[in-house]
Amino acid sequence: MPYAWSTSSDTNQELRAWPHQSLPPHGFVLFIGITSCLIVVPLIPLIGSIVLWGILPFILAAVAGIWCALKRSWKDNQIVEVLHFANDHLHLTRHNPRSPTQNWECNAYWAEAILHARGGPVPQYLTLRGNGREVELGAFLSETERRSLYGDLRTKLDALKKPRQS
Amino acid sequence: MADAAIHGHEHEDQRGFFTRWFMSTNHKDIGILYLIVSALMGFIAVAFTVYMRLELMYPGVQHMCMEHADSGLFGGFFASLAASLPTECTPNGHLWNVVVTAHGILMMFFVVIPALFGGFGNYFMPLQIGAPDMAFPRLNNLSFWMYCTGCLLAVCSVLAPGGNDQLGSGVGWVLYPPLSTNEGGMSMDLAIFAVHVSGASSILGAINMITTFLNMRAPGMTLFKVPLFSWSIFVTAWLILLALPVLAGAITMLLTDRNFGTTFFDPSGGGDPILYQHILWFFGHPEVYIIILPGFGIISHVIATFARKPVFGYLPMVWAIIAIGVLGFVVWAHHMYTVGMSLTQQSYFMLATMVIAVPTGVKVFSWIATMWGGSIEFKTPMLWAFGFLFLFTVGGVTGVVLSQAGVDRAYHDTYYVVAHFHYVMSLGAVFAIFAGVYFYFPKMTGRMIPEFGGKIHFWMMFIGANLTFFPQHFLGRQGMPRRYIDYPEAFAYWNLWSSWGAFLSFASFLFFLGLVVYALRAGAKVTENNPWNEYADTLEWTLPCPPPEHTFEILPKQEEWDHSDKHAH
Repeated sequence: MPYAWSTSSDTNQELRAWPHQSLPPHGFVLFIGITSCLIVVPLIPLIGSIVLWGILPFILAAVAGIWCALKRSWKDNQIVEVLHFANDHLHLTRHNPRSPTQNWECNAYWAEAILHARGGPVPQYLTLRGNGREVELGAFLSETERRSLYGDLRTKLDALKKPRQS
Repeated sequence: MADAAIHGHEHEDQRGFFTRWFMSTNHKDIGILYLIVSALMGFIAVAFTVYMRLELMYPGVQHMCMEHADSGLFGGFFASLAASLPTECTPNGHLWNVVVTAHGILMMFFVVIPALFGGFGNYFMPLQIGAPDMAFPRLNNLSFWMYCTGCLLAVCSVLAPGGNDQLGSGVGWVLYPPLSTNEGGMSMDLAIFAVHVSGASSILGAINMITTFLNMRAPGMTLFKVPLFSWSIFVTAWLILLALPVLAGAITMLLTDRNFGTTFFDPSGGGDPILYQHILWFFGHPEVYIIILPGFGIISHVIATFARKPVFGYLPMVWAIIAIGVLGFVVWAHHMYTVGMSLTQQSYFMLATMVIAVPTGVKVFSWIATMWGGSIEFKTPMLWAFGFLFLFTVGGVTGVVLSQAGVDRAYHDTYYVVAHFHYVMSLGAVFAIFAGVYFYFPKMTGRMIPEFGGKIHFWMMFIGANLTFFPQHFLGRQGMPRRYIDYPEAFAYWNLWSSWGAFLSFASFLFFLGLVVYALRAGAKVTENNPWNEYADTLEWTLPCPPPEHTFEILPKQEEWDHSDKHAH
């Protein structure tokens, strides 16, 4: 599931959410490794021949091309939303791949998580409202994941709103 | 922070004609464009074959005469028809060579791969894996227009000044030196540029496909849950990435040998023309699989749908595709048994080539096993799939014959080889393309092609193609060499049959074009998402016909594409 909670204490928690990507880092290594091994096969009989230098640049360009393309595709999807709960303070940061980081903060007591059954760019659109602004959260997640995240948020926000026993 | 956008996110396609078809970055539109342009190039390439078969219909030279050389390619052709045989006809061997070369180059680089990989691959691979588009839509647009540029250069090379003080270059599609390095005029350079540009287009397309396949699959769709067509496109893209840079290097060296005085392939300067053949076939043999693998994918879906059974042995089918791809890289010299390789080398290439029959056999048997016990419907796409199975198997069997170095000594450069590769590669691929067109036409256009028309087209093409190429096995066994404008009387009988077969095939192609126009204008409208049956169960069949401009902007749910539980019972 492309979101995860980490907890350092009852009042200090962090949510990280990111879009689904089907290529894991070890998949990248495996694919580039096998490709590099196979693509140099025609160079073996050319060792010692000038023709090798005619072929080599094209082979290197092909490997570099697929390397850069996979990295670029990863980077295009490197959207990370971090929601930080610290005592009664909520801070949401969205790291975008090629545009400035966006921020939103609010007192947890006034914050409200809303799951929109209708409207919005995606089904079960999840937003956070507070501090005079409504912002989206996890629009890149699947419908089921957003519903599950909404449940988590409701529980955690309710817990924060309860008066603490000293 | 992205502010919430609760109201209004409808996507209505408001693009004008020019914006949509000339500036598109949408994978579905680009797929259709690939299919249209490859059909146009196919028409030109097939028209060349009609010209060739017309010339070979009877012994002697009747249509390609030096007397018509000044009229140009087309003018000369029509002049030869109108004059009802000139009193004098001096054979124009150059013209013959030009037509043979142009047919090969167009078919290999500009028709079959763009149709299967560029057309069907672009349209359906992202849909099948639940991706909203290709990973790099603008790169996709660039690939398509580079392909168009290549088409233009290839056609120009036929019409530009070439060798023997005539138009065009007649060196064969393999561009072997010293023929290609010594051919005069700029036609040869244009042909090399055409191959270069189309190669670059294919490599960019392959990078895009690989990235899309690896990183944009729907959640839960692990590698061994991906539909077979998407697998075939991925392996094809991988083969393109591995093989085409080698060709690009080789033809760049040809260009410098021709224009800058280098001697990479010229023995007088220490170069080696045989080395070019090795490099060319290191690309050329995987090229065969680049052409046919997407066809395998389409055929798997068509057979499963019309046998009303899930495809038999999914995992062996995937591994067979991978094995064919990998083995395709280590058998290239079976095209060159006669160049003087050692016995050990010949033995290796012979055995390695025969090993490819194993994964290929796995596929053929799995298709048969899919049909076994199934409830087979003989709809038009299924007929084409049957045709594919027959033709590909005949071609595969003659491939095993030719893989033997001793036997190849006798058959090398005869019409037996022509018959073999047309059966396995050209007809196999073309029948797969037509299976795909009839199967996916309702999805792409929202209209059905009339069944009756489709069946007439199939039978015309099936009879025509077999009539054209089956007799060529006999001609090859009789010893008729390929790439000649004329032949002795002894070969006349089967050449006549072969020519009539080619004319019938061409007529079927014209009939098909008419059928498509009719279907687009008056074909029955498709109202449901899936006009076939529940065994067409990949993600594209969950979308309307035709699909909207934007698809899968919302991640598809696993139950929409994962039917393993349903089929298990």
